[in-house]
Amino acid sequence: MRSVWTTAWAVELLKLRRSVLVRVVTPLLVLGVPLASVGAVWLARRPHLPGTASAKFGAYATGPLAGAHLEVCGQVLSVAALGAGGFAAAWSYGREFTEGTAGALFGLAVPRVAIAVAKGLVLACWLAVCVVTCVGVTFVLSVAVGGDAMSVGPQIGVALGAGMLAIGLASPFCWVATITRSPLGTVGVLVGLVAVTQVVVVLGAGSWFPYAIPSLWAGAGGPEAAAQITPAALSLTAVVAPFGLALAGRAWARLTNV
Amino acid sequence: MTAALRLEGVAHTFGDRVALDGFDLDVEPGEVVALVGFNGAGKTTALRVLAGRLRPDAGSAGVLGADPARLSRERACQFAQVVDTPLVYPELSVLENLRCAALMHGLSRADLDDAVRLSVSRLGLGPWADRPARSLSQGNRQRLGLAAAVVHGPGALVLDEPTSALDPLGVVLVRELVQGLADEGCAVLVSSHHLDEVSRVAHRILVVHAGKVIGSLGTGGVDLEQRFFAMVLADEDHRVPPAAGREGKP
Repeated sequence: MRSVWTTAWAVELLKLRRSVLVRVVTPLLVLGVPLASVGAVWLARRPHLPGTASAKFGAYATGPLAGAHLEVCGQVLSVAALGAGGFAAAWSYGREFTEGTAGALFGLAVPRVAIAVAKGLVLACWLAVCVVTCVGVTFVLSVAVGGDAMSVGPQIGVALGAGMLAIGLASPFCWVATITRSPLGTVGVLVGLVAVTQVVVVLGAGSWFPYAIPSLWAGAGGPEAAAQITPAALSLTAVVAPFGLALAGRAWARLTNV
Repeated sequence: MTAALRLEGVAHTFGDRVALDGFDLDVEPGEVVALVGFNGAGKTTALRVLAGRLRPDAGSAGVLGADPARLSRERACQFAQVVDTPLVYPELSVLENLRCAALMHGLSRADLDDAVRLSVSRLGLGPWADRPARSLSQGNRQRLGLAAAVVHGPGALVLDEPTSALDPLGVVLVRELVQGLADEGCAVLVSSHHLDEVSRVAHRILVVHAGKVIGSLGTGGVDLEQRFFAMVLADEDHRVPPAAGREGKP
């Protein structure tokens, strides 16, 4: 007899594979982000850059090409992976309520806590594959346009790390989608949290706020802000993932009036 | 014999609205019991309590001798319920939905294909086996939901309005399905608005009104509808609104 965990994993994986979400988000992450990263650096190195763009991309106008590509990739991923994860959680958990199937998940041999955890793990694994592929595609594109393949190890590591941390930061939205029973409500909370993060960064407390840490670490706030991100802050950010998933599992185990 | 499905003194309110008010029933293995009543009488709420989807304010529920909100894996493998939306996902094909439902109901890989084949055959879903569920008509989606619910051959089954969207052929298929499951020892509790239909399939018909079972109707005879209304009206006559009661006092 298959374990409840492998059964829940198999069913949730099939639902994800058949979803519109995967068909839309996967190309955006694995092609859109690398193209945007290479394009942004190309723009930064154009002569006669307009003032606004010059202020934004000036940091990448000089220095090793491949390093700049991968640094921008890490910054974009730190936001894109969180956004993708938040939307995916809103869909995967919230749909069971809006489509009415949450009630059908009662009285099954597979307990709801296993279903909830499997949903989160399936989403996390899919997004992790997207992040790794995205960084790989960015590297290949960079080499293809003349980037130096050597000595980009640190930038690759930070891009992968920022992407993975951002995926983990999406896990509380699994819980939000469960308690609100609404995909749109969850997206609303996601948008609100992004706004709050901006405020926290402006106030100078970003280096200890988990939702700001991946992008600051990837260099979005400049080299000085990146240097302030400590291993302890990164660990704090990483803890959000199991915490969010545990909250979601508990909420599904205690569901009633469905 | 121990009841496979049981509600005892179950009461529940939503805000200030009384949904269940001392609801009692039991269904023995191999028995088909039908609940009939007006919209809002409490049928679906009672079925949700039996499915473990609603914890009542008072009273107790039992499925195969256990609390439905805390079914062990062993008992859950013998239970099935379709109340409102079934376990059907529109992006999956008919066969994929049935395979997923079978796995979620605890069937092993070895038994999967035979169980899915039997379920497709029982509900006449063969022509649409590889179609996505989203492309099915409402009636065929309802058939698929029933097939997904019973794919594991349950010992206790709770169905809410299982024929509401079905054509006459679908109604016959569901009747045969319910009778077949009962013949195999399954306890079936079904709610319906179709008195003539439930009289063909049920061993007992319970009348639900104002959150409780107010009596039972024999399944024979041609005046089922009249007896149903007479029972409900008699129950209404016994309920004197507090304001009217005060006015009536000398």
